Amino acid sequence: MPSPNASNAAEDLADVERVLAGDPAAFEGIVRRWQGPLVNMAWRYCRDRARAEEMAQEAFVRAWRNLAQWRRESSFSTWLFAVAANVFRNELKRIPAVSLPLEEIAEPASPASQSAEFELRSRHESVRRAVLALPMPYREPVLLFYFHEMDVGAAARTMGLPEGTVKARLSRARELLRKRFPRLSEEYIAMESAASN
Amino acid sequence: MTDERLDRILAGEETLIPSSGFTAAVMGRVREEAAAPAPIPFPWKRILPGIVLGGAGLVWGAVELTRLAIAAARDPQSVALPVWASAMPSMESLEWVALALAVSATSWLVTRRIGGESNLL
Repeated sequence: MPSPNASNAAEDLADVERVLAGDPAAFEGIVRRWQGPLVNMAWRYCRDRARAEEMAQEAFVRAWRNLAQWRRESSFSTWLFAVAANVFRNELKRIPAVSLPLEEIAEPASPASQSAEFELRSRHESVRRAVLALPMPYREPVLLFYFHEMDVGAAARTMGLPEGTVKARLSRARELLRKRFPRLSEEYIAMESAASN
Repeated sequence: MTDERLDRILAGEETLIPSSGFTAAVMGRVREEAAAPAPIPFPWKRILPGIVLGGAGLVWGAVELTRLAIAAARDPQSVALPVWASAMPSMESLEWVALALAVSATSWLVTRRIGGESNLL
């Protein structure tokens, strides 16, 4: 998802310089370039569209306030994602995204009335929602690993954790999800092929 | 469920497009923040002498008490109370009231002065 990364680094830097020189309007360029990634990142944290936009907005405002703290050692996007992750984490501590524990999230049955494609989507959504019920130390590595297109290093930088820690937590998170959805593996192949037909 | 399958499910998330008013909403908040007056800095210069004085008083008190405690442990009969300590019980209640009022008035005046200069009052 974080696509504007490399090509817009120079534009990010120029906009930051202008904002720090006293031109708040220059921040609009940053918002336009990064609104997509930040809203999608927030969506992964809460799976609620309206709340995702609110959280992304808060992340931009926090970035605006602390723009002078960006040390140019890391890319602007790395810093922005770290700020956003911090905002989203705190926001979800305040109001959690799901109140159900992982064990209580039902694995969808396979009703004959539903089309194969709809059923497949429903199952995928259940798995994605189950991620939100993981304990926080396992949840965030999963969210950020897939948000960063399965780049452990990027996820680790966003969380400010060593890569080894993130890998270990990812592995444990997968184990928890596998235990929670045992039937998914058996029926998945059949449904996938039915959906593609 | 294999890791590969899990990867496909979790990586295959649909991309959300931010609503059309998103940038304007963020920039609205940024402009508000930019227009807001800078936060009032904490008056460290004004407070510092008080902190130093208070700290010195505490240290002095601690040293005095330790000295008295050591002396009392050695010879309980020979401990002479310091002047301020012996004077305290003999004070009339009116003097206590006057002292409390003076402390309150001083504290109030200092607060007014600091607050007035920073346009808080």
